[in-house]
Amino acid sequence: MTIVKPIQIDVANQVFEAWNTLGVQGRAEKLEQAIYSLSHEQAQMARWQLANARHEIGAAQVMPGPTGESNVLSTHGRGAFLTAVQAGLNSEQASVGLIGQMFAALVAGNPIITVGPEGQALMDQLAKYVPQGVIQNIAESARDSIVEASDLAGVAIICDPEKAQQLSQQLAQKPGLLCQLVEETDLVRLSTIAAPNYILRFVTEQTVSTNTTAIGGNATLLELGSKAE
Amino acid sequence: MFNALEVLQPTILERPLNTLWARISPLYCVDEEQWLTELLKLAEPTDAQLQASTDAATHLIEQVRKDDESMSLIDSLLLEYSLDTKEGILLMCLAEALMRVPDKETADAFIKDRLSVADWASHANNSESFFVNASTWGLLLTGKIVTMDESKDGKPANLVNRLVNRMSEPVIRQAMNQAMKIMGHQFVLGRSISEALSRGKSYRDKGYTYSFDMLGEAALTQQDAEKYLASYLQAVESVGQDTYGKGHRPTISIKLSALHPRYEVGCEERVMTELFESVKQLISRARELNVGITIDAEEADRLELSLHLFEKLFRDDCTKGWGLFGLVVQAYSKRCLPVLNWLAALAKDVGDRIPLRLVKGAYWDSEIKLCQQRGLSGYPVYTRKEATDVSYLACANFLLSPHTREWIFPQFASHNAHTIATIATIADNMGANANEYEFQRLHGMGDALYNRLIKDKDVCVRIYAPVGSHKDLLPYLVRRLLENGANSSFVHRLVDARCPVSELVDHPVTTLKGRKTLRNPFINLPKDMFADRNNSFGPNIEIEAEWQPFKASVDAFMGQETQWTAKPIVGGDSLTTDDVHSVKSPYDHALVAGQVHWANEAIVNQAIEQADAAYPAWSQTPATDRAACLERMAELMEQNYAELVALCHREAGKTIQDCIDEVREAVDFCNYYAQQARQNFAAPKAFSNYLGQTQQVQLTGRGVFACISPWNFPLAIFAGQVVAALVSGNTVVCKAAEQTSLIAYRAVQMLHEAGIPTDVLHFLPGNGATVGAPITQHKRIAGLAFTGSTGTAQMINRTLASRGVAPVPVIAETGGQNAMLIDSTSLPEQVVRDAVRSAFASAGQRCSALRVMFVQADIADRVIPMIAGAMKQQSVGLPYLHSTDVGPVIDEKAQQMLLDHIEVMKKEGRLIAQSELPEWAERGTFVAPSAFEISSIDQLKDEKFGPIMHVVRYKAKDLDKIIDTINHSGFGLTMGVHSRNETTCAHIAKRARVGNLYINRDQVGAVVGVQPFGGQGLSGTGPKAGGPHYLPRFAKEQLV
Repeated sequence: MTIVKPIQIDVANQVFEAWNTLGVQGRAEKLEQAIYSLSHEQAQMARWQLANARHEIGAAQVMPGPTGESNVLSTHGRGAFLTAVQAGLNSEQASVGLIGQMFAALVAGNPIITVGPEGQALMDQLAKYVPQGVIQNIAESARDSIVEASDLAGVAIICDPEKAQQLSQQLAQKPGLLCQLVEETDLVRLSTIAAPNYILRFVTEQTVSTNTTAIGGNATLLELGSKAE
Repeated sequence: MFNALEVLQPTILERPLNTLWARISPLYCVDEEQWLTELLKLAEPTDAQLQASTDAATHLIEQVRKDDESMSLIDSLLLEYSLDTKEGILLMCLAEALMRVPDKETADAFIKDRLSVADWASHANNSESFFVNASTWGLLLTGKIVTMDESKDGKPANLVNRLVNRMSEPVIRQAMNQAMKIMGHQFVLGRSISEALSRGKSYRDKGYTYSFDMLGEAALTQQDAEKYLASYLQAVESVGQDTYGKGHRPTISIKLSALHPRYEVGCEERVMTELFESVKQLISRARELNVGITIDAEEADRLELSLHLFEKLFRDDCTKGWGLFGLVVQAYSKRCLPVLNWLAALAKDVGDRIPLRLVKGAYWDSEIKLCQQRGLSGYPVYTRKEATDVSYLACANFLLSPHTREWIFPQFASHNAHTIATIATIADNMGANANEYEFQRLHGMGDALYNRLIKDKDVCVRIYAPVGSHKDLLPYLVRRLLENGANSSFVHRLVDARCPVSELVDHPVTTLKGRKTLRNPFINLPKDMFADRNNSFGPNIEIEAEWQPFKASVDAFMGQETQWTAKPIVGGDSLTTDDVHSVKSPYDHALVAGQVHWANEAIVNQAIEQADAAYPAWSQTPATDRAACLERMAELMEQNYAELVALCHREAGKTIQDCIDEVREAVDFCNYYAQQARQNFAAPKAFSNYLGQTQQVQLTGRGVFACISPWNFPLAIFAGQVVAALVSGNTVVCKAAEQTSLIAYRAVQMLHEAGIPTDVLHFLPGNGATVGAPITQHKRIAGLAFTGSTGTAQMINRTLASRGVAPVPVIAETGGQNAMLIDSTSLPEQVVRDAVRSAFASAGQRCSALRVMFVQADIADRVIPMIAGAMKQQSVGLPYLHSTDVGPVIDEKAQQMLLDHIEVMKKEGRLIAQSELPEWAERGTFVAPSAFEISSIDQLKDEKFGPIMHVVRYKAKDLDKIIDTINHSGFGLTMGVHSRNETTCAHIAKRARVGNLYINRDQVGAVVGVQPFGGQGLSGTGPKAGGPHYLPRFAKEQLV
């Protein structure tokens, strides 16, 4: 397979760090502004994804452990995501699902690339609220070039099981990182997209461990040592 | 239990020395409640004694408060910048690091980082000391100026402010360096002994004397040790030439860790020969010049070793009949009293008196932290300050008793008025003359107190005074001061007239007995560190009482007569096959650990079909029952600790501490995932869906999960994957690395014993072709967890995707090109220790191991030779020996790949150092730990999984470029950072695309549930093992 790197991936990689650095709260605030331009059901889905992200990954988690060290677990975006609906499956419900994918991918910290006219329409609605390059759109005909691009972190797609299989095979053929396939095959209930752990498919995690006693003292311990009962 | 009161009987010193010795080690982590109950009997005063000591302390404090003499500057400084305030800590941070920063950019950034976040204004003019106020104003002004550069929204501030900033930077830097020098001047008596002797004259006129110390960092290299020995010898010469006749003659204190780069239990043989000779040389010269020598006390792990060495020196002719060779013992140690008891008996046995300094102890914080990290059974130190004070007084009762005084000359080091007054009272009660004991204090602390005491009482007071360059000593002193911060609190209260004297004269026995519990309930025992699960246990191999039984239990499995046989286990049956492979021990290929029967395609298919059939029932088994199996597994592994350790030695070539850590990690995985499953899988959870309706969601298994694990953590990663899949409701077929199937087989047996049904878990030993391929080709595999190389992960992923079934989760943890970034504020000794451990521990065969160290060019010429020196001290050898730091690599293939890379690096890079291999190394697969300097990380194409470290110099201004280069490598597993500048650390954390970032520590040894572990990009898919998001990936999220 010839591996190409379309310009969209380069653009996404360039904006990724800044977008990711905004944090869940910062991104959610920007994305919230975009909700008003969406249809009622799309807006419900978008709002829910943001609320769910705040709940599931909104705050860094302080892990328990020995005194004198700090361990903090946080989540970050994975990189460029393609978010799409399989050609021919377009429907009102599919567009709600697509919004779910887009908002989940975005709020998790990823730049996204949408596809075709529907993608273009949504991008037009959202793009003005997020930094340039965070949402890009490509023509349907360019979809495969993005799927096959190196550095693509993942594909989130609403599709039938056969398409999922085919895509999974296509992505697995690529060298480099294991590109994530986040598929939704339940177009009726959107049971994957509309579930609380869906957001976790779009993140990578970072643990920062700091030796807080590197220069000697351990304030926590001193406090515990002299704490009154 | 040791009977504490017994030490007051003169006959105690008649007991055989080995009997008294045998009482020491068992008290290492003794139950604090029980032992303090015993010790209190010895410390408890009679009513009359209590009254006398209270009166004496009250009198002393009242007199001190009346005295016009101002406090010492350090007292004043600590009074204003108390170590429990942000400003106090920040000031100390600056003092610890600023003077060693060679480049102005880093120094300016560091000053800005420290000064811009504190409220210096609140300290202005609070102190009566001119020095403190001057410092405050300096800090206040500089703090203001350095914060002007950026306005809060991050936009550049206006030109005027920027101009002020630019113009003032050199001024600020010079001012701060000057302030640190002044501080250094206060903490350090002199840059040389002659300067110290000269500066100390005024105190000697008052009746004080000195014990000088060249203390500083521990030696990491032979050169450092030699340098310290020379400076101690020089000190002995200088003191020896001192003709200032007044008062007692000064002595020298020495720190053994400065005199030998490996002063540790594992290197006892070297300590008892090489270090012995160094100290003997010092003693011989000191004796000729009549300069007393005292050995300082260090960490609890080294106590028994230090006593062995002391005994050997004390019995040597160089010391016999001298009476001025002494040591320090710490009262916060639970072993203190039996140690003193043994020392007194030793002195009697030899016939010489031992000068002995009783201190409270200065490493309390790190002792507690270390025990928690290592999962030890308890703490070697008391957890309440008043318990240490009780121990101090109990020990004083023994030391001042007539039968002990004959053999020990006690020297009481304290800055606490009550302790001092009580000691004097005890001495009076015991009939001790003022010339039969002395007091000691630190230079610059407790002046007012001792000035008063020395006026009232004709007793010798010795000042413990650091000597040496401020730049070298200040960091060490500040760290000890911070660690021992609690002691400074007495200084505050002593001089604070608002604090009633009655509060300062409470007897510690009264205070301690007034507590609900004798041990501090706020400091949990290591096993209770987590609120919702047990912490895993680890023995302390540095302590005789723990090491000897542990070693004996492991040795029972180390002989060639112990052989293991691993076979495929399908449906609970161990299947014999005709494809049998011997497992050779990596450290000696002539030794065999056992035999492995490899599975084949038919067995693989049989196992998967049985697992598939068992899935419905297992997925319906309550999650709490599944969790209980994991907890039983954790218990079983701890019950079979010795066998598992022996297997790690013999099959994987792991060193002792690595084996212990391996078992601990496996135990932690079981307990953590059990707790996570109880929390998240036991019952459906309600949530409000996107339509605003309340809905239930339940996590359930997916079907048959395949687990494929590596040889580098043959138990921990193997068990971690398997139990995660099981507890999430999946049935499992598992394949261990072909190099390490014996321990995996035992783990599967234990899991079945723990209650995992035999049709739910199946074991399939073999290699990738015989077992891996048929597993990944099977259509029933519903998910796969893999740890290994990036290339294998890609191949597995392709095979799974080509099966013509719905995509399944692949959880892959793969390689890394792990970096460590070191700037010029970091402490070279810490850097070297952490870098050497990160790169070479486990022979570099950890996913997290350091591969490329980036060191700021300004300090590279100091750090790189230290790394070379420290590498020369590493012992490569048999992994089951305590003296071994680095064991073998896993097999010939790995060895050859690493040796090839070393050859390439010898041509393309510059060899920094290579550790020595033992003569017999060819019996196994050893690779000498090697370090090379290269110009860029781009010179490395892929990960080299072994003990090879690469070093790259970088310019401070290029930090971001370096981060970009590392990010562009595509790997993102671990990264280490060494910097005192928190802004720099935060900046790197924000930018570096790595899964685990470690700041100011080593970068290996992630702990389950504390440091969830896993990378991104080419380093893995996530979620992190040992983290809260791991189990959901093994499960389906079903809306119900």
